[in-house]
This record gives sequence, structure tokens and C-alpha cells, in this order.
Amino acid sequence: MVTDADEKALTRFVYREARLADESSYDEWEALWDDDAVYWVPRGDGEFDPAKHVSHLYDHRQRIATRIRQLKTGYRYSQIPVSPMRRMISNLEFFDGENEGEFEVQYNFILAELAIQSTHEMNFWVGRTTIKVRGDLDVPRLFYKKIALVDGDEPIPSLSFII
Amino acid sequence: MGRMDNFSPIDYGELVQEDRIHGSLYIDEDVYNDEMDRIFHKGWAFVGHDSEIPNVGDYVTRMVGKQSVIMMRSKDMKVRVFLNRCQHRGNQLCNEKQGNKRALACPYHGWAYNTEGELKDVPYKGGFDKPLSDFNLEQPRTDDYRGFVWACLAQEGISLLEHLGRATELFDRACDLSPEGELNLTAGWDRHRYLANWKMLPENDTDGYHVNFTHRSFVEAIDSQYGDFVQEEESIEGVVIDWGMGHTEIDFARGYKEPLKWFGVTEAKVPEYVQAMKDAYGDEEAMEKLRVGPPHACIFPNLFLGEMNIVIFQPEAVGGCVQWHTPMFLKGAEQLNYRLLRQSEGAMGPSSFLVADDATIAQLTQRTLEQGQPWCDLSRGMGREVEEPNGNLVSHMTDETNNRGFWKHYKVVMEG
Ligand code: FES
Ligand SMILES: [Fe+2]
Repeated sequence: MVTDADEKALTRFVYREARLADESSYDEWEALWDDDAVYWVPRGDGEFDPAKHVSHLYDHRQRIATRIRQLKTGYRYSQIPVSPMRRMISNLEFFDGENEGEFEVQYNFILAELAIQSTHEMNFWVGRTTIKVRGDLDVPRLFYKKIALVDGDEPIPSLSFII
Repeated sequence: MGRMDNFSPIDYGELVQEDRIHGSLYIDEDVYNDEMDRIFHKGWAFVGHDSEIPNVGDYVTRMVGKQSVIMMRSKDMKVRVFLNRCQHRGNQLCNEKQGNKRALACPYHGWAYNTEGELKDVPYKGGFDKPLSDFNLEQPRTDDYRGFVWACLAQEGISLLEHLGRATELFDRACDLSPEGELNLTAGWDRHRYLANWKMLPENDTDGYHVNFTHRSFVEAIDSQYGDFVQEEESIEGVVIDWGMGHTEIDFARGYKEPLKWFGVTEAKVPEYVQAMKDAYGDEEAMEKLRVGPPHACIFPNLFLGEMNIVIFQPEAVGGCVQWHTPMFLKGAEQLNYRLLRQSEGAMGPSSFLVADDATIAQLTQRTLEQGQPWCDLSRGMGREVEEPNGNLVSHMTDETNNRGFWKHYKVVMEG
């Protein structure tokens, strides 16, 4: 059972995570993750299996750390300067997780990303996110984030920011 | 913006010189149209791999220059390539990227073709007097080398083997990393859009000079086999190679001492694979194959054997292209697949640790070229490259010998 209080706390978390991503607050964003992290952008909404199909990205905890470390070197040209971004989130749905004390939230998003480091195009990234968290909902631990892009199986521009 | 004079035919001999090329080659619509015609329609272009369509009726759709094509496994198990265009009034036959069909039926008036491309049914036959056999799907010349399927829209011209030339050796090197000698491209394709001219892909993918700079963040953040190439000029052992016919390579193997360096592991990490290789090729040959590893080579015009990735370059417009990639799974070594998938995502594609930065550089280059028409210099290494007995030109890994090789062939093709 997901209570109203749980929903409120989870919504707060979703918004906070989104703001940290929007603002490329790398350390704070990385600190949200638990050790068994899966951060996954499959090629859209289809039946994709990360053990069989190539994804845009499929990171465990260590690779998230690598990704952030690379962004912080000051030479990650695809994010110099970092893309200004804002994402709108809606259609939140809340579910109990697989284990006691775990929750799943799914929501739609539209993300406007200005590719300021190269083309100066405004890229619109649209899709549905699934996150899974556990622990004290005031400071939940994020252990799963899957972003299914509407156009995930079409050609997409560089995606080296936090989505 | 284009050439200074838009009325006379383009003088490719002037624009492509031995030591430099003109910037208009990346930004001129007329050049782009010539390329689609002379390189992609009159010459051979890579379409797909036969392991993508194992069963009768399996198909994928791909672009060959400006032309959409269907690569299909026919009932006789042959791989055929058809133009994706109905022979009635030209509707697109197949809109899906891939799938399986018993027949290709046109959604406009229902003409139906079998998997061999023969027109088998025209609805309301009464009003149509021509023989159906005059309306079979158009098939470009099609051939394959070790499962890599190529098409040439022109019915006349050189054979695929002539086009590949010595570079067949590079395909052999890739395929022979499988204990069964075969690849399995079943992971699907990730597609990365660049707002840059397509030629920047083959140029950059075998450019050994940029690694230390474009990929400085990678080198600093990640410990990999490429780290060994970021060092003083004299101690770099890797070389670049012009294989002729526009095929180019960075050969890292000359710097590899131990087996499997290219895979970032030791033998102990993948014992079943090493054993399967020894069983297939004998100990000595297997260990040499495992030392040398896969090629890192661009095959003119649109294929990149990118170590353990297979990559397609797809031009979209003069200022836009798509880079496709899929991990190179090896038949008989399925236990490597998970690692290959993660390595593939790490190196190639929109979120990768490497190519995302290459894309940024390509897009910035495109913007500046559009602002004017400077010359791009390609002379690095002209004074120290060496011709090997097989005719290959070889030079230091940071030299532009291979880029010159690309452009040399480009000029021959473009001058027709
Ligand atoms: S155009 Fe295909 S059936 Fe008429
Ligand atoms: Fe690169």
C-alpha cells in the first residue's frame, strides 16, 4: 500500500532528483544512488533486454561514478559548457516495490536541453521514467532509473548530460 | 553557402590535393549530391550482415545513399536486397526497420511480391494486361564477404572483391576472433545523429592524432587499453595504415604484447573463450589472433570495423549524418556478450564515454566550415610514411596517412 504521505514524499524526491539533473549537480545527484544501482536508457519502450540488446546507456553503480568523474574532469567536451536544461514531469503513478520498504514511481517527462556546446539546437527529450527507491522516504535511496524515450529507437543526438 | 563559383562543374582535382582538402567538400549541396551518385549509387555500399536475418522472410530496411532498400532472407535462403519501392506507382513497400514477412505487399493497391522479389499478385487482374514478370522488384547488384552484405545500385562496375581489395584481410581478422569464424549481429543498432557531414565519421574514426585531446576526459577518468597510446610521440607503437581503395586503419596491435589486451582482460578472465579458440585454430594461431585482436578500420565508404563494434555511416544531408553501432558478437563465444554490450555502450553512441565528444567536435567543425571555405591540412606524416610490401602505406599513429588514403580514393571516385 502506498499511502498519501508516501506519495507526497516520493513526489518530493522525484522533483528533487529532476532538479539536480537539470542543474548538472553531479555530486548531489550521484549521492542519491544505492550500491546496486541500475541507470538505464534502453532504445525506447520496446521489449529490450540489457543482456541481449544494445542500449544507449546501461550503468551500474561503478559506471555512474565513472560517468560523473568524466564529466568533472573539465575536458568532457560534449558537456562544456553543460547543457542548460529544464524538465517537466507529470502523470506520476506510485507502486509498491518488489521488496518490503521499496517503492516504484513512473512518470512522463519533457526535457528541453540546449546543446550550447555545439549546435545550439534546443533538443526535446520526451519519455517515461521508472524509478525505484528504498529506505526512509525523507532521504530515499535510488536504486533503479529507466528512461524510455519516445524516439529511443530513432537516431538521437548526444546524450552525455544526466537524463 | 558553397563554392565560390556555382556555375562550372566541380573540380575535384583542385579541391582534393595531396596534402590538403578544401572545406567546401563538407558544406556544398552539389558536392553532396555528387557523392550520393558517384560513391553511394554507382559504387558499393555496406547494407547489413546476414546474421541479422537468419530466417526466411526476415528483413531489415537500410539506406544506400538516398535510396531505401530492403535486405531480405528469401525462401531459397539467399540474402537479397531490393529497392524499397513498389513497381506499380512507386509507393514505399516497407516502413518498418525490421521484421519478418511472408510476402511484401504494397499498402497502396495491394500488389504483392514474394521473398524473391517476384510480383505474384495484382488485385483485380482483369484490367491489367502486362506480364507480372515485368514488374519484379528492382535488385541492385548484391554480394557479401563473410556475411557482410553490400549493394551497388549500378548494374555495371567493379566487383565487391575488387572494391574491398586487400581489406578483406581486415574482415578475416574480425571474423576469426570467433571460434566458428562467424559473427552474430543480434543486439540491434544504436543510432547517433550528428549535425555534421558524413565524411567526418570515417575521417575521425581512424584518426589516431585526436585521442589525447578530444578524449582527454576519457583518458583522465578511465583506465583502458587506450591509455597506452597517450604518451610521448617516440614511444607510441600503434600505426595508421592506408590499405588502398579508401580503406583505412589504426593498427593498435603493433603495440599489444599480451593476448586480449584489446578486450581489457587477461586469459584467466575468459577461459572458455580462450579454450574454444585453441580448439578451433590450434594453440599458436589462436594466441596470435587473441594478441592481435579486432581491426579498427574504416571500409570505404560507410562501414567501420570498430574493434568489437560494427558501425555504419549513414549520410542524411550535406550537414547531417547518423552513426549506427552494434556490438560484434562472436559465434561460439556467447559468454562474452554481456561485456561486449557494455563496452559497446561505453565506446560508441550518444551516451558513450568516447564518441559523444567526437560528435561535439564534428559539429563544431561543421559550423566553422559553414562560415567560410578554408583549406584543411592533411600533410602530417608525408615525410615519414613507408610503403609495405603489400602496397599499404604505414605511418606513426598520429599521422594523417590514412586520411590521405580516404581522400585519394574519394578523388578517384568523384572524378569518375
Ligand atoms: S503503388 Fe504499390 S500497389 Fe500501387
Ligand atoms: Fe574519437
